[in-house]
Amino acid sequence: MQKITIKKGHNINISGFAPREFSNAPAQKFVSISPQDFNYIKPKLLVKEGDQVSVGDALFFDKINPEVKWPSIASGTISKIVYGERRAVLDIIIEVDEEKEKNIESDKQINLSSKDNVKEFIQKHNFWPFFTQRPFNKVVNPSDSPKCIVVSLADSSPLANDLSFSLAENKEYIISALSNLKKLTDGHLYVAVRGNNFSFLSDYDFINLIQVEGPHPSGNVGVILNKVNPLNQNEVVWTVQGSHLPVLGKLFSKGIIDFSLNISIGGPAVKPSYIKSRIGARFDLYKNSLLMENVRIISGNVLTGKQVDIDGFLGFYHSSFSVIEESFERPFIGWLHPGGKSKYSVFNAYLGSNKKSFDFTTLQNGSNRAFVPVDAWEKVFPMDIFINALARSIEANDIDEMEQLGIYECDEEDVALCSFVCPSKSDVGAIIRKGLDTIYFDK
Amino acid sequence: MNFLRKIFEETGKLVEKGKPLSWAYPVWEAADTIFFSTNKQTSKGPHIRDNMDIKRTMFFVVIALIPCYVFGAYNIGYLNALAMEIERGIVGNTIFGFTYVIPILIATFVAGAICELTFAIIRKHEVNEGFLVSCALIPLTMPPDVPLWQVFIGTSFGIIIGKEIFGGVGTNIFNPALTSRAFMYFAFPTKISGDKVWAVGPDGYSGATALAIPANPVEYDTASNLFAANTQFDYSTLNMFWGLIPGSIGETNKLLILLGAFFLIYCGIASWRIMVSSVLGLVFTSLLFNLLNYLTVDGIMQAGGFPNAMLTITPLQHILIGSFLFGTVFMATEPVTSSHTNKGRWIYGFLIGVLTIIIRSINPAYPEGVFLAILIMNMFAPLIDYYVVQANIKMRLARNA
Repeated sequence: MQKITIKKGHNINISGFAPREFSNAPAQKFVSISPQDFNYIKPKLLVKEGDQVSVGDALFFDKINPEVKWPSIASGTISKIVYGERRAVLDIIIEVDEEKEKNIESDKQINLSSKDNVKEFIQKHNFWPFFTQRPFNKVVNPSDSPKCIVVSLADSSPLANDLSFSLAENKEYIISALSNLKKLTDGHLYVAVRGNNFSFLSDYDFINLIQVEGPHPSGNVGVILNKVNPLNQNEVVWTVQGSHLPVLGKLFSKGIIDFSLNISIGGPAVKPSYIKSRIGARFDLYKNSLLMENVRIISGNVLTGKQVDIDGFLGFYHSSFSVIEESFERPFIGWLHPGGKSKYSVFNAYLGSNKKSFDFTTLQNGSNRAFVPVDAWEKVFPMDIFINALARSIEANDIDEMEQLGIYECDEEDVALCSFVCPSKSDVGAIIRKGLDTIYFDK
Repeated sequence: MNFLRKIFEETGKLVEKGKPLSWAYPVWEAADTIFFSTNKQTSKGPHIRDNMDIKRTMFFVVIALIPCYVFGAYNIGYLNALAMEIERGIVGNTIFGFTYVIPILIATFVAGAICELTFAIIRKHEVNEGFLVSCALIPLTMPPDVPLWQVFIGTSFGIIIGKEIFGGVGTNIFNPALTSRAFMYFAFPTKISGDKVWAVGPDGYSGATALAIPANPVEYDTASNLFAANTQFDYSTLNMFWGLIPGSIGETNKLLILLGAFFLIYCGIASWRIMVSSVLGLVFTSLLFNLLNYLTVDGIMQAGGFPNAMLTITPLQHILIGSFLFGTVFMATEPVTSSHTNKGRWIYGFLIGVLTIIIRSINPAYPEGVFLAILIMNMFAPLIDYYVVQANIKMRLARNA
């Protein structure tokens, strides 16, 4: 077991952490998969409204990489396909037919011996979208051979789904998933855990177990990679979401296609809880738990998640909903405020700030200004990358310099805290994405 | 409050896009967000943000400067009372001092606001609060008697040439406040250097600053002896720390400057690395010069220009005299114009210390070296950063190979 300790970072002390118990909720009637959740794909639909689909059937494929197809996450009827501007597909909504899903239980034993076996099996069941790669944080190209595979079971983001709780019943499936993941790479399979969680994994020597300690973003795949096996130019690393391991494990061990997912709901504007649900769940089932009228519902965490409507759906890679208040307050001379309960800052600029868990709202808490390097980003960015210099090279559109400064190792989620703390209210994630886009479309 | 809010909402309609007064939007926005915190929402991730913003950052620097203003005013009154041989009391001295400080402050802020607002309107960007800090710093570097029109011109020069022509806050190369100071030093030398300007006294009254004494000794002696021999002011180490000596308005009381430094470091606004390393650079260089001078005095080494009383100033005296401490704490740490990397900050600060002593000691024309040292290092900060970043790039290339 390897141990890495992250010093730079910050655990945002936000209120509304879900207690470790499941609350009851009715079964999902509607689920959705959104092509918008996947970077750099050109989706081509294979279904139309009204079609009957079984769970796992291909819904659409990527025109750039046609072997990558997206599975239907439920059996039932395609009830609606939502289009956005320029006919971009926003949501493919499926009405769940539970009767139909009951028949797909299976108890056959699957044995996948080689890399090619596993790849074929994934291909056959349209499971490639579960595999993403660094750099670019996009769905993998199945013909690549990754230098290593990383799975983080130590999500450190604010109000994150605590996998040591929500995956507790899936021990065998996790092991089955990991053992098959190992077959996909000639390199290491890194699994990051926190403390003594998932200690049973240390019995398996095909796993490179990494114990991470320290504040967010210590549980991010990018940060772990940076510390244990930095990503170089022209290398590819694969990763899957820790919360998806049971889904993969069920497929790899028994051939069951089951997209159930234990999701967490948290945040200052909602009654926090864990709920047994499935990938792409719709939020409106849980709207009784909202504590106020004006809320922003976020699929994913408050740092990198996407805003959804009250009848919006969980993003494909997300395993939690976060809900915060939409605030429009304009306190009188707020920037002179002495501090106390109503202010939160990582700077020592308010009396008594960030001691107690804080009810964050959607306020930006300041106007956008030109960037002033007061060392705020660097305090919460643990990689050995000059993030300020990198951001400048991106703004200057200098691809060579971006590569030299290590843009391939970064992703939006790794710099989300930089945007959180930035006094100039810059969006560092957007800058990094802009740089990655520039490089991606240049090649 | 509601009344005020209403005024802003009504006037806000006048400066909306498409209205004839829309050019004034940056001015309106600045006033509006000063009175009421902005209610701007996050649009995408991160959906939550820290409560620190540029307004508060900049305002905290101004807060750190306020004690220096108060003491500076008192010191003007105190030295004046000394020169006039009258008693005025602490309050009287302070009020007397403020009659000098406030006009300078007003001249600075009027000039600064005109420049900043004009550029905000022309460039159509929001007013950046950074100019408040520049304008709060400039009067503190001035002698009390400086003509206001010179302050006005100097400030305008500093804000425009030091900042705006490079694109405003965030992209400027030179510290605007120091650019003003340097401009005035070279443009109006009679009013901002020499013996006559640093204390307000009767006509023709002159008082040498601590730096001028070893710079122009009647005959060579050590700096400590020269200070002790001066009967006009108390140039003991302790009094130089407390600051009841002639000098520019904000530089003299070292305790208040240190308090400001701790405040800014605690809040995470100024870099302690720059402060510490520039003191290290100063100590290193002044010890080196002490040694050189020692060698020449004892005849071990012969060189032109030696012995030199400036070279006998001890490191502690160097820290206490002149505006080294003020410049290090408030000017050198200006985040935009200093180095942007932590390694770079160590080098940048150290070289400021080194250059300050070199300019002070070797060149008799400029006894006050710190503002030139910081401006020179402002110029080299990007170069230092370049090499620090290159080291990171080489590390990555080596890994890649």
